[in-house]
Amino acid sequence: MSKEKSPEENAVDQYTANVLQNGISRRSFMSRAAVGAAAAGLGAMSLTGLTGSKAEAASVAECGEFAKSSDGGATLDFMPKPELIAEKEIASTKTFDVVVVGAGASGVPAALSAAENGAKVAVLQKQAIVVSQGNTGSGIDLAKSDKAGIEALVNRLNADSAHRCNPALVRSWAYNSGEAISWVIDRAKKGGATVVDQGTGPQHGIRGITEYPLNFVTSYFGPKPYTAGDGMRALAKTAEKAGVKFFFNMPAQQLVQEKSGRVVGVISKGRDGKYYRFMAKKGVILAAGDYQNNEAMSNYFIPDAKNFVRKQMDRTGDGFTMAFWAGGVIEPLGHTKMLHDFDAGPAAMCDMPFLAVNRKGERFVNETVAMSLMNNYLRDAENAGHYSQVFDADYMTGAKGWPGKLYSPEELKNYMPEDPSPKKGVFPSQTNTYKADTLEELAVKLECDPKTFVASVKRYNELCKAGKDDDFGKPANRLLPVEKAPFYGIHRRMRVSAITSGMLVNANHQALNADGQPINGLFIVGNMGGGFYGGVDYPLTVFGLSLGRCYTFGYLTGKHVAKL
Amino acid sequence: MNTNIKNKLVFALALTLLLGGLFAGGAVAADGVQLDQFHASQGVACADCHGADNQREAVPMIKCLECHDTKAVAAATADLQPTNPHDNRHFSTETDCNYCHHQHQKSENFCTPCHLRFEFVVP
Ligand SMILES: Cc1cc2nc3c(=O)[nH]c(=O)nc-3n(C[C@H](O)[C@H](O)[C@H](O)COP(=O)(O)OP(=O)(O)OC[C@H]3O[C@@H](n4cnc5c(N)ncnc54)[C@H](O)[C@@H]3O)c2cc1C
Ligand code: HEC
Ligand code: HEC
Ligand code: HEC
Ligand code: HEC
Repeated sequence: MSKEKSPEENAVDQYTANVLQNGISRRSFMSRAAVGAAAAGLGAMSLTGLTGSKAEAASVAECGEFAKSSDGGATLDFMPKPELIAEKEIASTKTFDVVVVGAGASGVPAALSAAENGAKVAVLQKQAIVVSQGNTGSGIDLAKSDKAGIEALVNRLNADSAHRCNPALVRSWAYNSGEAISWVIDRAKKGGATVVDQGTGPQHGIRGITEYPLNFVTSYFGPKPYTAGDGMRALAKTAEKAGVKFFFNMPAQQLVQEKSGRVVGVISKGRDGKYYRFMAKKGVILAAGDYQNNEAMSNYFIPDAKNFVRKQMDRTGDGFTMAFWAGGVIEPLGHTKMLHDFDAGPAAMCDMPFLAVNRKGERFVNETVAMSLMNNYLRDAENAGHYSQVFDADYMTGAKGWPGKLYSPEELKNYMPEDPSPKKGVFPSQTNTYKADTLEELAVKLECDPKTFVASVKRYNELCKAGKDDDFGKPANRLLPVEKAPFYGIHRRMRVSAITSGMLVNANHQALNADGQPINGLFIVGNMGGGFYGGVDYPLTVFGLSLGRCYTFGYLTGKHVAKL
Repeated sequence: MNTNIKNKLVFALALTLLLGGLFAGGAVAADGVQLDQFHASQGVACADCHGADNQREAVPMIKCLECHDTKAVAAATADLQPTNPHDNRHFSTETDCNYCHHQHQKSENFCTPCHLRFEFVVP
């Protein structure tokens, strides 16, 4: 693919056209209000931060002090215009080829990949250390896959995203991820990581997608409590050896932009309250993660997630605000969310359709609904993502042959906080499985109202006996009664792992402005990057797709920017 | 914060300053004692945190580090069960002190919303 396309060549695909039309950008309101192309061009190219001059300030001013919704009706005060930082407030200026913002699953690979391709690289990290999360990150093993199989998977992933994603980005992952994941595994090992390639083994979700060969490179940083966070810290060691400079406690605040619109640097604020400027000769790569900890921003873009607890910290969408004021476009409302609990009980039992009750103790759903979608039935403030899977002493025989893998009563102890056994391969503080001799006792342990709970079980047992689920239509072979003590419950808490929608980018992961033109010098990867998803929930077809795309796009973009 | 409340707070603090001497003996705050009292008992003045021009506003963590060494604090609680609040996988030894320790109000446990059973009591 050529680096610079002429506008004619740049025929806009459906996805991009939609985001340009309905996304949130500095110009979206003005242009839709038919201000006209001339004014629009001005607005799109004005400056942020340091280099602001009167002319540009005027066009920014038309947007006011805050961002606006795409119809211009709402003021988005969670995206305030960056304040002008005077030259004398800048404590120091350092110059690099590439500046990466955020040291997580996409930023660290981006930095190392840029360095390996000859660039002088700085990473600005908000937190005190490299931070990321999760265990599994996946890619396609091209040598062991048939193109027809890969395309079938691409088609399935598009469908998982309700066909609202950008297929070009899905293909970018599909055809480059094997190489990228293998590279991450190799380089992380060199930094001392505990990581293995699990191959196609863990990819149960791809069954039935294609009759052609389709195989995976599946990186696994673990077992827990070891995670990809530890893995990225190891990868950062390799990066440091390759010359990458890490700056911790150094949250990026603003982009430095030339009059032409080109992004040429970043300004961070240190813990000492002083500003530090990092100039980027080739480009800035934003990899600052999602915005789940910015309450107002979340409530606006993804109101469904209002009542769910977050799993991460410090993801306040700073990068979104920076990219927005540099002219970037945020995907339209209705962002894609990821809510899981693989830790309360065995991950392999999370989709097993045992009786499920909500926080009150009521049965609320046909339990064949996957755990990753359960959040949609638990969005209210009272349930706030809580539900419990309930089964009895006979579950090992009763649920034999169900999808997933059953853990024996002995193995379940590893997930029981009340059991004194030392915990292995889990996050001790996240385990939440209980055993009780009576239903009332179990209800208390699961924090449900005992009366409601017992009534729900009674009703459920009647349906099981009848072999017909009049309440929710679950198939008869999944109707397993809860009758015989001891009783078991896995109390799962759906919390926001990630939000996976972001800024409009092209296939080179370069940010586009409201005219659909690339913003020179600005690249966006990881969960900050848009176009890869589009559904209501993150799909689990490919296990580890999220980390897989973060590593892959970091790897590709680092290389691309270094070669500019 | 409106000025009224602010004034009340300053007033309350002035009172506790007088009481400060009571705690001067031990290096650990008694239960229910707020950190402002304890710091005062250790000879820490308002200005040590709020600056010479006494700007009465939130104090950034870096102020705390003028007197507290994060590595030493982490070492002091290394054996705390179930986990060391001062050295964790999210922030290493650099968790913002103000997430947990409050000076003029009850301190809180920043970790519990996410972690079941991380039940330590924050002075
Ligand atoms: C508990 C949990 C388990 C998960 N398990 C899996 C899994 O097994 N497989 C999978 O595929 N996905 C998993 N995920 C999702 C996956 O972790 C994320 O999608 C992925 O880490 C996102 O990568 P990222 O680079 O976009 O952001 P992150 O990895 O979150 O990194 C972003 C970084 O940017 C920094 N930052 C933020 N703002 C600024 C700023 N202003 N300046 C500088 N730096 C900044 C942050 O400190 C952070 O380190 C899991 C998520 C959670 C929470
Ligand atoms: C150990 C550092 C420290 C000392 C000593 C200290 N403060 Fe504070 N002060 C803080 C912090 C931190 C805050 C932010 C709120 C909190 O954590 O309780 C604060 C907040 C305040 C506020 C409220 C500001 C606002 O808008 O929220 C006032 C007023 C105040 N302090 C007055 C005082 C006075 C008077 C003294 C001396 C008796 C004093 N402080 C001593 C750290 C300190
Ligand atoms: C001017 C010096 C100074 C500053 C600034 C300071 N402290 Fe202290 N602090 C002390 C001293 C002295 C003690 C008592 C000795 C010790 O425990 O280290 C203490 C004790 C403490 C304790 C232990 C209380 C206990 O019950 O054992 C905590 C917690 C604490 N400080 C928190 C903070 C925080 C948070 C800040 C920043 C907002 C801060 N300190 C700023 C001097 C300071
Ligand atoms: C996660 C919450 C949390 C954070 C963040 C935190 N602390 Fe603490 N801190 C605690 C708890 C809990 C204790 C009590 C430990 C115990 O019971 O022995 C404590 C105790 C202390 C003590 C007394 C230690 C002793 O000698 O027994 C000091 C001093 C202190 N903290 C300072 C700090 C400073 C400085 C910071 C910021 C760098 C900080 N803390 C951040 C929770 C926290
Ligand atoms: C916003 C939610 C959140 C907060 C707040 C939080 N954590 Fe965590 N923590 C997590 C998640 C999610 C994991 C598991 C995956 C990971 O490492 O990200 C985790 C893992 C851990 C682990 C390893 C697993 C275990 O159960 O032992 C420790 C230790 C830990 N955190 C300590 C802390 C401490 C100490 C604090 C308070 C300073 C804290 N965390 C605050 C979300 C949080």
